[in-house]
Amino acid sequence: MSDTEVKDDRKYSKDHEWIKVEGDLVVVGITDFAQNSLHEITFVEISEVGTSLESNSECGLVESMKASSDIFSPVGGEIVEVNSELEDAPEIVNEDPYGKGWMFKLKPSNLDADLAGLMDPAAYKEFIESL
Amino acid sequence: MNDTLKRTHLYDWHVKHGDVIPFAGWEMPVRYTDIREEHMTVRNSVGLFDTTHMSRFLIKGPQAQVFLQKLTTNNVSKLEINEGHYTTCLNEHGGIHDDLTLYRVGEDEYIWITNASNGPKIHEHLMKHSSNFEVEVVDKSRDITMIAVQGPKALPLIKRITNSDISEYRRFSCYRLKLAGYDCYLCRTGYTGEDGVEILVLDTPFNDEGKQKAISFWDELLKAGKEFGVKPCGLGARDSTRLEAGFVLYGHELDEDTSPIEAGIPYAVKFKVEPQYIGFDVVKQHKNEGGIRKTRIGLVMIDRGIPREHYPVLLNGEVIGEVSSGGLSPILNKGIALAYVKPESVNMGDTVAIDIKGRMRKAEVTKWPFYNPEVYGVSRTQ
Repeated sequence: MSDTEVKDDRKYSKDHEWIKVEGDLVVVGITDFAQNSLHEITFVEISEVGTSLESNSECGLVESMKASSDIFSPVGGEIVEVNSELEDAPEIVNEDPYGKGWMFKLKPSNLDADLAGLMDPAAYKEFIESL
Repeated sequence: MNDTLKRTHLYDWHVKHGDVIPFAGWEMPVRYTDIREEHMTVRNSVGLFDTTHMSRFLIKGPQAQVFLQKLTTNNVSKLEINEGHYTTCLNEHGGIHDDLTLYRVGEDEYIWITNASNGPKIHEHLMKHSSNFEVEVVDKSRDITMIAVQGPKALPLIKRITNSDISEYRRFSCYRLKLAGYDCYLCRTGYTGEDGVEILVLDTPFNDEGKQKAISFWDELLKAGKEFGVKPCGLGARDSTRLEAGFVLYGHELDEDTSPIEAGIPYAVKFKVEPQYIGFDVVKQHKNEGGIRKTRIGLVMIDRGIPREHYPVLLNGEVIGEVSSGGLSPILNKGIALAYVKPESVNMGDTVAIDIKGRMRKAEVTKWPFYNPEVYGVSRTQ
C-alpha cells in the first residue's frame, strides 16, 4: 500500500473518509485507500440536502462491483450540497477521490470537537500501514 | 493470509496477474483488471476462468447408474456416453444438498462436478451411500485442473488447439480429446449464459510438475485466444455473468431448505426414474400438488440503487420476501436481483419495492436472463 496517496491538506477517519475545511463548510469524500479497496465504484448515494447528521452517523452508500459500503459523516452538521456528478459517473471517485470525487459538503455544527477525533495525514498513513 | 486456505494449480499465475482473495476456503482471483471489463469480454468475445476450486468425483462400477439415480434428480438413464446434464442432489426433506453437472464418460463411468463450498460434504455423502452399491468413488479434485472458456468466441478459440471436429459437439456433451497436446475432457457447458466449454485437464497432480503443466495449458489458451482479445476473468465476473444469466448459486439461491421447484430449476428434476432418488416425494408434491413455501423471481431496478443479498422485498408495504443475489448488470447498467417471495404474490411486470438500507426503491418483476437473449447469451450462437 506504499503507493496509496494521502493528502496533507485534510483530516481522516478510521472509515477511510477525508474531510477538508473550506471556509464555513466541510467537504467530505473517501480516501485513495478506500477507492482502491472498493475498486470499480458503480453507484454513490448520499442523503438529501438539508439532512442533519450527528458525527459518525450513516448518510449514504457506495457500491462497487463486489460489495456495498456505508458512508458515515465524520463530522456533524447539515448537508448543504451533494456531488450530483457522481450520479451518472460514480467512477470519478476511483479516478480522483480527493478532487472531483468529493461526495458532499456540510455546514458543521460542532467542528472543533469533531476535528479532534480525526487523524492528521501522518497518523492516517500509519493507520493504513498497520492494516 | 490464512494458511488453511487451499490454492489451485494456477495460484502462482493468479497472484502474479490478479487480485487474489479468500473464497469458499480457497484463495482465488476476484479480478485481473476490471470486473466489468472481464464481464463484457465474456459477453462479446471470450474469457478464461480457473474453476479448479470446484470438486470432481469419478464414479464407476456396474451399479454406477443406479447409485447416481438414488442420489440425483435428473434422469441418469437418459445419459448417453459423452453426454452430461445439470442436476441436483437432495436431502430427505427435498432440500438441495448440492447442484451439480453429471457427465457420463464411459459405459459405467461418470464424472460429478460440484460446488467448491460443498466438496467435503458431497464427498462424505457419496462415500456413505456408495457402500450399498457396487461402485467406486474417487475424488479427482486435486488431479484434474478445470478451466472454463466462455463467450461467443470460445469455440473458435478451441478450434485453434485441436484437430477434432468440435462443431459436432452439442451443449452438455463431454468428449475426451487432445487440446494443444494435453489429454482433456472437453465439456460444452458453462455458468455465464454464453456458449463455451469447461475443460478438465487430466493428469495434473497438485505438485510442481502438475502445476507447471496447468499453467502451460492456461498460457496455450491465452495464446490461442489472442486474436479474439481473450481475457482471464476472476470470480467477480463469474458471479456477475451468472447473475445476469439468472443462474442459481449454492448458498444464495440454493440450500438445504429449498427444493428445486422452489428454486425455479424444474428441468433438473425428473419423475420417471428408477430407483426413486432421495427427496423424490417432496419434490413430486411441490411439482404436482403445490405446497411450496417460496418461489424465485427476477428483479430489475426501476429506481436507482443496487439490490444486495437479504434486502427485503415489499409489495404494497408488506414484506413478501428477500433478495438472494444482487448486483449491477453491466449489460443493462442497472441493478438486478434474484429474490425469493411468497408463492403467487407477484406476476411478471409487477412493481415491488426493495428496502435498500431503509430507502424504498422500485423494481420490476422480470424473467431471466436479464439481457436480451437475441443479442447476448448462448441462444444467439446456436
